[in-house]
Amino acid sequence: MTATRDALMRLGASTAEAIAKTLDTLCPGQVERGDVSVVNPDTSPFGTIETPAIAVSVNYVDGVTGGNVFVMTATGARRLAATMMGQPFPEDDVDELTVLELSAVAEAANQMMAAAAAAIGVVLGQEVEIAPPETRIFHSPSEAIDAYEPAPHGVRATFRVCDEPCRLVQLVPNAFIVRMTRALDEMGVETLTGHVSQVNGDGMEPGHEHVSLDDALRDIRVRVWAELGRTRVPIGQAPAMPPGTVLELDRKADDPVDLYVNGLRFASGTLVLTEDGEWALRLAEVAGHDGAAQPDTPRDAEGAVS
Amino acid sequence: MARVLVVDDAAFMRKMLTDTLTSGGHEVVGEAGNGVEAIQRFQELRPELTTLDITMPEKDGLEALREIMAIDPNAKVVMCSALGQEAKVLESIKLGAKDFVVKPFQAERVLDAVGKALGEA
Repeated sequence: MTATRDALMRLGASTAEAIAKTLDTLCPGQVERGDVSVVNPDTSPFGTIETPAIAVSVNYVDGVTGGNVFVMTATGARRLAATMMGQPFPEDDVDELTVLELSAVAEAANQMMAAAAAAIGVVLGQEVEIAPPETRIFHSPSEAIDAYEPAPHGVRATFRVCDEPCRLVQLVPNAFIVRMTRALDEMGVETLTGHVSQVNGDGMEPGHEHVSLDDALRDIRVRVWAELGRTRVPIGQAPAMPPGTVLELDRKADDPVDLYVNGLRFASGTLVLTEDGEWALRLAEVAGHDGAAQPDTPRDAEGAVS
Repeated sequence: MARVLVVDDAAFMRKMLTDTLTSGGHEVVGEAGNGVEAIQRFQELRPELTTLDITMPEKDGLEALREIMAIDPNAKVVMCSALGQEAKVLESIKLGAKDFVVKPFQAERVLDAVGKALGEA
């Protein structure tokens, strides 16, 4: 796999996972992950969408360039909106969405892309900013094909949400690929080894390379860190802390240290010194295999200092 | 219980926030869909508290916050942020926002943040 395809697959996989997690929060139990595929430059990623469809595009405005289009059927969009408002699925067969339903779907796309931008920001090592969402309604695939400026590269991730198909299409300019490839090189990432094939069936457009989301994710290098302890301070105080400030943490010197994998507390252990004089962690307890890994984001979001 | 101005470019989020704040006993006295409207509505209504989305067209939440704090340095503002906007959240706290909530958020978290912001008076 070329470096470009590798970067595209990693972009697609990490974005798809961030989006799926946000969807899981917005409509719990109603999200199925599909696959991630690199779009053939000669084929539109919108060629096989089911219509009428609602498409929400969210562009990057700072950090990187490029666009993202989240497309779902009108039925799926109405179901998603209803779920977000705590209501049952609509029973009528109306294709038009109300202003409030459209706004709910746009907000969902906005939150999904914010999560995806955060994931991309981790790879690139900088904050990636997004613009407000733009919503369109398409009555045929050709309308969608004409609606967005073609990009040199594209990656597509599929999902089923509220039992309806939807997809994320990322329109990727060359500059983004250069940045992403460089960042992956700097991180020492190995080549993606998941199964890759040309696909002509299963409802996929011919000429796309695709791997399952699981395979695409398996070889992604993740950030791992050890945490000595935490404390809380009023957020107004945090920016004003001068150098020399001493913060007491919530752990004793000989307490176990927590190991985090991409924000999940995954294990705990004790700090040891290697022969080269570097810190290392000897794991005593691993929480990941039984699903007991705990997400860390809410604590961080409330201002924990670690 | 406070008179609140709700600012978000998404009608859906304005409704969710309005429902949440009303259920918590607050009165939503006005809404705005972008930063420019937010400043106009703030000057007209002089709310006791403003919820302010960060990503908005016309003028974003940070710019609106800057102007609101210039109009009233004692204004109580709670920011609404999406994931990955930590730098902007920190900037908004430096500018004078009292607290922030991260979307997708729970009703209790919104009411908690609003309550704390009002309690600082």
